[in-house]
Amino acid sequence: MNPWSLAWTRFRRDRVGLGSFLIVLLYLALVAGAGAGLIARGWEKEAGVSYAPPSFVGRDFKAETSANKNAERQGAHEDSGIVDPLAEDLAEARRSLSGASAAEAKAVTLPFGADKWGRDVLQKTIKGTQTSLLVGFAAALLAVFIGTSLGAFAGYFGGPADDFLNWLYNVFTSIPYLLLILAVAAVLGQKGSLTVVLILGLTGWTGIFRLIRAEYLKHRVREYVQAADAIGASHLRRMFVHILPNASHVVLVQLSLHVVLFIKSEVVLSFLGFGVGVDTVSWGSMLAEAQSELLLGNWWQLASATAAMALLVTAFSLFTDALRDALDPRLK
Amino acid sequence: MLAYLIRRLWQFVPTLLGVVLLVFILFNWIGGDPAYLLAGKIANPEQIANIRRQLGVDQPYYVQLWLFIEQIATGDFGASWATNEKVSAIFATRLGPSLTVLVPLLLISTLVSMGAAMLAAYKRAAWPDRAIMIGCTLGQSVSILVYIIVFQYVLAYQLGWFPVQGWGSSLAENLFRYSALPVIVGVMVSLAPDTRLYRSFFLDEINQDYVRTARAKGMSEPRVMWIHVLRNAAIPIVTNVMMQLPGLLAGAFLIERFFSIPGIGREVILAVERSDFPVIKAVTVYVAIATMVVNLAADLLYKAIDPRVQLK
Amino acid sequence: MAADPAKILHVTFMAAEAGFDPVKISDYYSGSVVEAIFDPLLTYDYLARPARLVPNTALALPAITDGGRTYTLKVRPGIYFAADPAFKGVKRELVAADYAYSIRRFADPKNRSPYAFLFAGVAALETPDRYTLRIRLKHTDLNFSHVLATQISGAVAREVIEAYGDETNSHPVGTGPFVLAKYVRSSKIVLAASPTYREHYWEGRKLPSLGGVEISIMEETQSRWLAFQRGETDIEYQLWEIAPTFMTGDGRLRPEFEKRGIGLERSIDAEITYTFFNMQETIGGQPNPVGGFSKEKIALRRAIAMAYRVDDQIRIIRKGQAIRARYPIPPGIAGHDPEYAGSIPYDPRTANALLDKFGYKRGHDGYRTLPDGKPLAVRYSSTPTERDRQFDELWKQSLDSIGVRLEIHKDRFPELNKLQDQCRLMMRTSAWIADYPDGDNFMQLLYGPNTGQSNNACYRSAEYDRRYEKSQRLPDGAERNKLYREMTRLMETDTVWMLGDSRYRNVLLQPRVAGFKKHPVLATEWLYLDLKQ
Repeated sequence: MNPWSLAWTRFRRDRVGLGSFLIVLLYLALVAGAGAGLIARGWEKEAGVSYAPPSFVGRDFKAETSANKNAERQGAHEDSGIVDPLAEDLAEARRSLSGASAAEAKAVTLPFGADKWGRDVLQKTIKGTQTSLLVGFAAALLAVFIGTSLGAFAGYFGGPADDFLNWLYNVFTSIPYLLLILAVAAVLGQKGSLTVVLILGLTGWTGIFRLIRAEYLKHRVREYVQAADAIGASHLRRMFVHILPNASHVVLVQLSLHVVLFIKSEVVLSFLGFGVGVDTVSWGSMLAEAQSELLLGNWWQLASATAAMALLVTAFSLFTDALRDALDPRLK
Repeated sequence: MLAYLIRRLWQFVPTLLGVVLLVFILFNWIGGDPAYLLAGKIANPEQIANIRRQLGVDQPYYVQLWLFIEQIATGDFGASWATNEKVSAIFATRLGPSLTVLVPLLLISTLVSMGAAMLAAYKRAAWPDRAIMIGCTLGQSVSILVYIIVFQYVLAYQLGWFPVQGWGSSLAENLFRYSALPVIVGVMVSLAPDTRLYRSFFLDEINQDYVRTARAKGMSEPRVMWIHVLRNAAIPIVTNVMMQLPGLLAGAFLIERFFSIPGIGREVILAVERSDFPVIKAVTVYVAIATMVVNLAADLLYKAIDPRVQLK
Repeated sequence: MAADPAKILHVTFMAAEAGFDPVKISDYYSGSVVEAIFDPLLTYDYLARPARLVPNTALALPAITDGGRTYTLKVRPGIYFAADPAFKGVKRELVAADYAYSIRRFADPKNRSPYAFLFAGVAALETPDRYTLRIRLKHTDLNFSHVLATQISGAVAREVIEAYGDETNSHPVGTGPFVLAKYVRSSKIVLAASPTYREHYWEGRKLPSLGGVEISIMEETQSRWLAFQRGETDIEYQLWEIAPTFMTGDGRLRPEFEKRGIGLERSIDAEITYTFFNMQETIGGQPNPVGGFSKEKIALRRAIAMAYRVDDQIRIIRKGQAIRARYPIPPGIAGHDPEYAGSIPYDPRTANALLDKFGYKRGHDGYRTLPDGKPLAVRYSSTPTERDRQFDELWKQSLDSIGVRLEIHKDRFPELNKLQDQCRLMMRTSAWIADYPDGDNFMQLLYGPNTGQSNNACYRSAEYDRRYEKSQRLPDGAERNKLYREMTRLMETDTVWMLGDSRYRNVLLQPRVAGFKKHPVLATEWLYLDLKQ
């Protein structure tokens, strides 16, 4: 029986692990649905009044609305003798419009409440799931790719290549994380989600590098590698066709760990102002708005984003633990 | 051993140079023009040029780089571009507050996580272990931002049990009044990951042969745990704590910012916002050196305690 | 009836100070402390509105001759600097030469002063006798008296500057009502009433009545609010974010606070916020979709202006604590026109029709293209702060309502200023606080030759410039106001700016604070306050 089916048998028996896996699948389904536009489509719409409370709290929660004292001033307008070049065009444009449009009614309460612009918090949370998960996955893939490649080279070839890569590793880990992030952010500019993925991926490879390098150091002296050499396999082939599968359990676990880590890092990045753009929403951007909202007593956006994130991260972490136990029970 | 020590010290130099180069490139080439920050509301090109001359940023890059290296050698990074305060003075005055929060935080969270980890390892796979592990996972799934915001709002703002923020003038006041809530928040955040990590250290030790031997010889379980396992697991735990310190100094910026603690982390954010390059340079260099020294000390400690450990 | 050491006023700053050397500072908080420690030649009458210049250390208002190019003042004898080791035990009197020295420091490149521009018009400084100062300007400037009333023009002593070298920021020594008693950087500033302050009577009291001022730096809103509620601070006005917590929707203090005797003083800050368009045809070599004077470009700007949801800005971002700015000059400043009704209404429907008419057709993604079919994107620049993110969202919603694609450009504040000076920003929200209480300080923001400095829209209009130059030679009055109205109309018909708001300042006062009246120009009221025991 090959190690993968052995692992699967072990995994199946872990009930907590299975349960967590199902929750993760549920979230992935949400991501797919949001991405395809099936759910949370209208998250940007101002469906409710500003700071509408959640429906289960009741509509009398915030009975008062601030009066709008800034109505348009009426009356003739003096043009001081200066003619507006668009005067005629404006008049024509107005004439072409038919009647007044009905103002859309805005809900007084929404299922999870509304944010300051009246956007539905429930829809924002679901859409935020999509953004946060995709950013977390993409960044983790990038970091694992870089860390694995560099770690493989360093561990396999040793010598000057190893020295150089170790030097790079030391430099990256010696710079305070905050400064590193800000420096990379400054270099990349602000292009929304892509920037976040790059920032996290380009700075987060160091842990994986160290582990993979250790694996390759261990494996390259093994007999099966020497056997591969004897049959004429090239270095690259030996590295990625022969050794990598034996280190794949480390890679997989690291990938899983880093997804969680980066989902949490995105929150801090958003707080610092380096998060996703205003054209989308993430849990980080929701939490960044939360601090000032809380001062006014509006707790629902904070609660919603925190609960969604906590459930996913817990489930994902438990799933990672079960994965690790299944792949390598000696680690237990 | 001595050869290893010398080799590692010798490696400091290229690493430090790498850090210097990286910081220099990133912040000079891309990172912002402080002349515009200092120039005020209206500045003509002449004034901007004058400011740049004053700050020394109009020199060619290799001159600036050489000056930077000189500064590292002498330890004198000049004065902040924003406030004119000497950089060494900034460090001297901000280090205290940072440590007043970090030292109690590390002490308390290490002791508590060690206790929880020992319990979990001891009661392996039984319900205390699973409960602690699931609790840790749950605790780790909440962002540090949420901990800070909610704790500050509920415990300080609503209930008034702690000051919402601030810093005093005496050590006693700072330690017991102003550090209390920041330390609590910090402990809450680091408890979960530390407990998991230390649990794995303890488990590693428990699975060792000498433990089985001791049990076979009839030694009581508490004696095995407390005397042998704890003593051996203490090494990786202590080195783990040591290695966290340099990073925490600059990295505790969230806590320092929310609680207005005049520490190094807060200074770093201010410096970045103001493109205050002397402060940024100094912090980067000091933290880099501290990280390298601490890593070396940790590795040496390992080697000294356990001769089986092979240092490459 | 002198300063009572038991009367200590407790206040907060919401941002850290930079220092206290008048020539080096530019922020409001450092300026507040400088105002308390140093004495300018002139100041403003504390109670008169609109703001009125009165002498401070000068015996009288300046004699202005040579058609506004020469200002002559006499310094009052018998004013002394606070004691300091730099004076080596000598009781140091204030003389005219001190003002000449202080003003010359602004021109010294070594000081790299952010306010050098205020004194850039000074050609020569003469002191014909011990107490007489004569200032000769390069050009006519009828507003120079205001410059002599700003807090940074207070007198410093040469001995002090030379003694402290690079440390002048933390060793301020002046002739003003307060001295620096204790200073913990970015944390606490303690001022004490100066024992050497001159005899200064006001409403039967010898000033200052306060024994001292204790300033704590508190960056977080909830900290400041809590401190005020607990009675730990006496005055608090930096609570915009939580205004609904203590104020009702129609601008009054909530009854539970009124019951405790807490006072609320509301005034409008002498500032405007506005969003400008880059008026040049190209930006960095590329065509600028919103710049230029052809009808279709004006139509695009006009449509955006008509879709700008300024009411939401006030209601949601400012939490109702602002009024719409309808004129480039805010209330309380000479030249403000309270009757002026702006000619650009909020009307996204007409805006859409206008854009349709000029050929900005919608593409398949719903966003409009240029009339020639090329893609259209308006680039809006802001900083990566949470507050600016709210403005980003506001502008996205405003532009989405007319189908114009918005691109957000993020960079740090000094970087944006640099690009702005190079006329490389397309659209940005900006603010201007009055340097002195005259409308000229605002109208110069659209003057062509100021492009690259204060004219951030890079607007060059011969019609506007002609009128501005004429207004510079007129005193405040009906004739100048007529020109200002025409200039405002030009700004609207060319749609250079979209005027935003002017914010309310809500000052909360503990019942024991007496004598408070928010001044439009003076940074603080500490000199005139009293604390009832």
